[in-house]
Amino acid sequence: MKDLVEYIVKSIVSEPDKVKVTEENSDQGILIKLEVSPEDKGRVIGRQGRVAEAIRTLLRVKAARNETRVRLEIL
Amino acid sequence: MSKDAIEIATEVLDTLLKFMGIEGKVKVSSPGLPAVLDIEGQDLGILIGRQGQTLAALEYITRLIVAGRLKSWLPLNVDVAGYKRRRRESLQRLALHLAEQVKLRKCAISLEPMPPDERRIIHLALADHPDVTTQSIGDGENRKIVISPKA
Repeated sequence: MKDLVEYIVKSIVSEPDKVKVTEENSDQGILIKLEVSPEDKGRVIGRQGRVAEAIRTLLRVKAARNETRVRLEIL
Repeated sequence: MSKDAIEIATEVLDTLLKFMGIEGKVKVSSPGLPAVLDIEGQDLGILIGRQGQTLAALEYITRLIVAGRLKSWLPLNVDVAGYKRRRRESLQRLALHLAEQVKLRKCAISLEPMPPDERRIIHLALADHPDVTTQSIGDGENRKIVISPKA
């Protein structure tokens, strides 16, 4: 799950080395936490949250395939 | 669109699909402007989503990554098994059919809510129509087209 987020985010930020993605499992599904450099935060969220929402939409496809649920938090 | 740009776009979309756990083959169905990348495979309805929202997200993320790689924004469309092409053709037929109804009945007809790119297809299909005009009303996911007789 986290490799999808890592690939997308590292491709669109200016400092890919500072991208950190962690994945936690719980009974409510998978929680993915994303950390980027402060300057890149705007890029991964996007205007009106458009980029973050698109990433979440793609994550939901994978979650549906795995019959689980997924949440993405941007720290 | 340059061959390199298309190759990069194809590779980006391939990688996204792989990480999403989708088995699909990316084909370039139009190399021109905009380039169209069509995903072929079994059981790809999940990639389209309600009102095509998942496909829109996939297209948006693909464009973002490709733009980052090439340092410039490229006109690029992503389709799933020709879904958008077929949808465009049926919307164009629907638009012309409803325009006839509006003309005959002399009263406005409103359509189902649709996403922006689909509303655009209807507006364009009827832009030069001699007897009707179109406008969009409502907000967000409820935004829809009304076709009215010309005064």
